[in-house]
Amino acid sequence: MRACSDLGIRTVAVFSEADKKAPYLKEADETYHIGPSNPVKSYLNIDALIDAATKSGADAVHPGYGFLSENASFAEAVTSHGITWVGPSPAVLHAIESKCYCREIAYHNGVPFVPGTLTLVKSIDEIHQYVQVQGCPIVLKLDKGGGGKGIERVEGPDQIKEAFERISRVGVLAFGCPDCYIEQEILQPRHIEIQFLADHYGNCVCLGERECSVQRRFQKIIEESPSPVVIPKDREALFQYTQELVKRMGYQGAGTMEFLRSAEGGFYFMEVNARLQVEHPVTEFLTGIDIVKSQLKIASGERLNFRQEEISFQGHSIEARVYAEDPVSFDPSPGIIQKVRFPETDGKYLRVDHAIEEGGNVPPFYDPLLAKVISWGSNRMEAIDRLKKALGEFHIEGIQTTIPTNLMILNNPKYISGEIHTGFIGDVYSQ
Amino acid sequence: MEVTVNAHMPGLVARVEVQEGDQVKKGQTVAVINCMKNELFVKSAHDGIVKKILVKEWDEMEVGSPMVTLEAP
Repeated sequence: MRACSDLGIRTVAVFSEADKKAPYLKEADETYHIGPSNPVKSYLNIDALIDAATKSGADAVHPGYGFLSENASFAEAVTSHGITWVGPSPAVLHAIESKCYCREIAYHNGVPFVPGTLTLVKSIDEIHQYVQVQGCPIVLKLDKGGGGKGIERVEGPDQIKEAFERISRVGVLAFGCPDCYIEQEILQPRHIEIQFLADHYGNCVCLGERECSVQRRFQKIIEESPSPVVIPKDREALFQYTQELVKRMGYQGAGTMEFLRSAEGGFYFMEVNARLQVEHPVTEFLTGIDIVKSQLKIASGERLNFRQEEISFQGHSIEARVYAEDPVSFDPSPGIIQKVRFPETDGKYLRVDHAIEEGGNVPPFYDPLLAKVISWGSNRMEAIDRLKKALGEFHIEGIQTTIPTNLMILNNPKYISGEIHTGFIGDVYSQ
Repeated sequence: MEVTVNAHMPGLVARVEVQEGDQVKKGQTVAVINCMKNELFVKSAHDGIVKKILVKEWDEMEVGSPMVTLEAP
């Protein structure tokens, strides 16, 4: 809404019953009530959203992140009402929903991808046959999964049946599709993703990588750019892979290609995120490019007004996500925020994006993300120190938050030396 | 003696894992609540037979909302 306001675009925000007093509504020019707290009847209800869009006379829909942000049916409904969808076309969204489709594109275009099957596995027998040849551990993944859901690790043949049944059930319940495929497990991987912008004229510019290896339950908690391990030669290769994939997918808009880096230093394409990402501010700090404004410009048919060689990356940026969760067990902690004191921001080295206010309610129905604290430094250590100082000043009372977890990570010697992988938090807590 | 199994956290009912007439053991999961996209297991504090299921998928739960009644010995 801030990006829109800067560009002179009026905004319409939608809200459910649980969010009727939410602070973000004050920033919108118009607001529409779209239904009860239950997200299936509000934020996931395409009819209610289209109704709000048409009644308000909106020209475009920005789907944000989460909920229907990558949903081809919603994008289709939006465009069929003559409204611009801020993102890739419904046809592209529909195709890349399938991870196997994306893996095939990688395979046919010389982009290394996480080893495993290129096609869906349909039976327990098929998995047994694969394991007999390739061995364990393997990971079963939902073809249309996402958000850390629909991933089952199989350590031995005796776990295959249970894992297959569980993933199929989760697939039907959460994504309406039980299809899954096999990936070989990459040991102690680092999660490295490339942010890109692609316009409607075949131009694609990469805005650098983000390292998002510090995760809990396959969900990110600390992200940074640049990655402590990506060397210029790797970056060049990752940019080339990204541009190739974007071209072959026919993708337009902002997006992210996610890769895993093995302990030995190999990179493997994992999946594409067809939306704005939560951690986009670290890239904005490094490049000075406003990704949301770029999305809006691309959607309105503008050409990218910068070339790859004009992009420069300054300093280091780190984002800490503050969740409404127990800082050790990560159990959810909804409730009323009794008191809140935000860190002091100067707009230059520190940015705090949040959705909270004193006396506000954090409902149990949605994602636990409360705030993002993003720092910038001329080097990694300076960014770490600024982030630690900001998190130390950030006080939230009434509910539990992961601020102590963030501080514990930022003080950990292994984190400081950049020795992280996706199992980092599990390792720290098991010590 | 009739006892109820109540929600221990707020959220939405993800699923009920028992049917009326089922025998349940103390500590067994009878229902699952989705709280902030996390699945939380609601366990029975007693052995018993499921008498009535009071909730369905997507119902909104508060702390203490009754979910299932049991006939406990």
